[in-house]
Amino acid sequence: MKKNYGSIYTLPMAFWVTLFFLVPVLIVFLYSFLERGEHGGVVWIFSLNAYRDMLSPTFIHILGITLFISLLSTALTLLIALPCGYYMARSRRKSLYLFLIIIPFLTNFLIRIYAWQAILGNSGFLNNLLMRLGLIDNYIQFLYNEWAVIIVLVYSYLPYAILPLYSTIEKFDFSLLEAARDLGASHPASILRVMIPNIRSGIISAVLFTFIPTFGAYAVPKLVGGGRNSFMLGNLIADEILVNRNWPFASATSILITLVTTAAMGLYVFANKSAARAAQRKRI
Amino acid sequence: MKKIPVWGLLLAVVIVAGGCSKESEKLNFYNWVTYIPDDVRQDFETETGIEIVLEEFASNEEMYAKLKAGGAGYDVTIPSGDFVSIMIREGMLEKIDMSRVPNFKHLDPEFLAKIEFDPGNQYSVPFFAGAAGITVNTRQVPDFEKSWKIFYREDLRGRMTMLDDMREVMGDALKFLGYSVNTRNPEELEQAKKVVGDWRDRIVKFDAETFGPAFARGEFWVVQGYVENVFTELEESMAENAEFFIPEEGGPMYLDSMVILKGAKNIDAAYRFINFIQRPDINARIADFLTIPSLNLEARKLMKEQTAYSYEDLKRCEFKEDLGKDVELYDEIWHEIRIGM
Repeated sequence: MKKNYGSIYTLPMAFWVTLFFLVPVLIVFLYSFLERGEHGGVVWIFSLNAYRDMLSPTFIHILGITLFISLLSTALTLLIALPCGYYMARSRRKSLYLFLIIIPFLTNFLIRIYAWQAILGNSGFLNNLLMRLGLIDNYIQFLYNEWAVIIVLVYSYLPYAILPLYSTIEKFDFSLLEAARDLGASHPASILRVMIPNIRSGIISAVLFTFIPTFGAYAVPKLVGGGRNSFMLGNLIADEILVNRNWPFASATSILITLVTTAAMGLYVFANKSAARAAQRKRI
Repeated sequence: MKKIPVWGLLLAVVIVAGGCSKESEKLNFYNWVTYIPDDVRQDFETETGIEIVLEEFASNEEMYAKLKAGGAGYDVTIPSGDFVSIMIREGMLEKIDMSRVPNFKHLDPEFLAKIEFDPGNQYSVPFFAGAAGITVNTRQVPDFEKSWKIFYREDLRGRMTMLDDMREVMGDALKFLGYSVNTRNPEELEQAKKVVGDWRDRIVKFDAETFGPAFARGEFWVVQGYVENVFTELEESMAENAEFFIPEEGGPMYLDSMVILKGAKNIDAAYRFINFIQRPDINARIADFLTIPSLNLEARKLMKEQTAYSYEDLKRCEFKEDLGKDVELYDEIWHEIRIGM
């Protein structure tokens, strides 16, 4: 009789997830329900203060800014990534384009953000170019506002959106489009009603790969964000730990981010399952 | 802070390792990153035969967390004033026997009188004090008043930055209004919030990381921050066109003090070290290295370098105290400022 080793094979993975994900999240979860220590740390008394603080108008405003920036970045990323993925999948030089998409990863993330400072800065390349062309008299301040944050976030996570889209579009049977046209669909209609539903899982992956990291962004708003309207939850957490020394509140905020991203993942799993069911029904 | 070149560190390691062969007295010293020049440390070691075992921290919070966790075994460290008061309250410090620090007498009595976190210096011996100020690019901004008013200037909109540090910026606004940087009065804080709000709308951003290089590139013309964070980035030609000042209204300042930790094993070495640091010639060398004024009256006479600001400038400033839980008053206002409320 053959023994089933399946569960043993998953042990390293289970160990890894427990040690580096579950345990830290549980500690953060626990801390969020404790009293703050006066000089940082926690006092072991149960308290809901951290969650009560979340009802303050300031916090809700910061949450609003964070949602605005991350949702808009995600939408823009998808809008750019879809045609890119489509073009790549239909192109004859697929591997070249794949390589080009991966190139930015060869440089450190922070250095690429600093590069954006050099491009968009008041004395940066873009302003110099526009002034030399005589289009503007004085510099335009591109950097240090919420739009700069959105631009750099879109730039940063674009490859993560293009890759899953490319791989699903590549598997898409393009003769279906021709069939749709034969049956009288206009060109846009064939794309919208035949292609988009078929590459749905790729779209959902792209959205998640962009939304999850942008929702918890810290470095980008810190470096290219500005005086107001670009202070995000990630920055709030850092402030609460380093300046205000309110660990429970920082923990509670972190739990909120984890919950939102987990909900997004749940939606993904649910969408995939219902897609699979729909496919099954079709077959029957 | 200046960066010590790697070879300097290596050299120090070799020298320290070389001294290890014979069983010598030790001092476990927990210091800020690059706060004491290497040659001063070596002179202490050759003079006294006491070996300094050095570890470094980058923030008070980091130092405090490590000491709180226990078992670090340090003898001497250099917290800022607010943390000295916390550590006294928590019983983490050894009382200082001033008869063993004869050089204490050189310290400026006028300055010592301002110390409220440890009145009468029962637990701490001042090391150095300093304050953030404003650096101006004089080529782009030839005319300016040495006042916080500069952040109201419309013509400099988009060319100015302030520190991403709520105690500093709120403290500046409070001083500008003539209040204490440690106020807990909601009325005064509300006024300060309005002032900082007006500044926020004219500055580019609150930034504690990149303003130095950006000033050096000519991107920003007026930056508020610590002098060493700007001038270490400047080439000589640029440094000629940069002027640092502490505004006439004053601002918050810090004082880092040497303390002996409870349970220190090398008490004798600790006293000799603290006394050594306040020896006028040694203190003058450290002040020259840091380019900030010395608190040691005798050392002031021996200094060779021109400091970025004078002791007189510091007189206008006020120590930041630990606010305990009241720090939340500032925190809330600061976040409201940051989101434009």
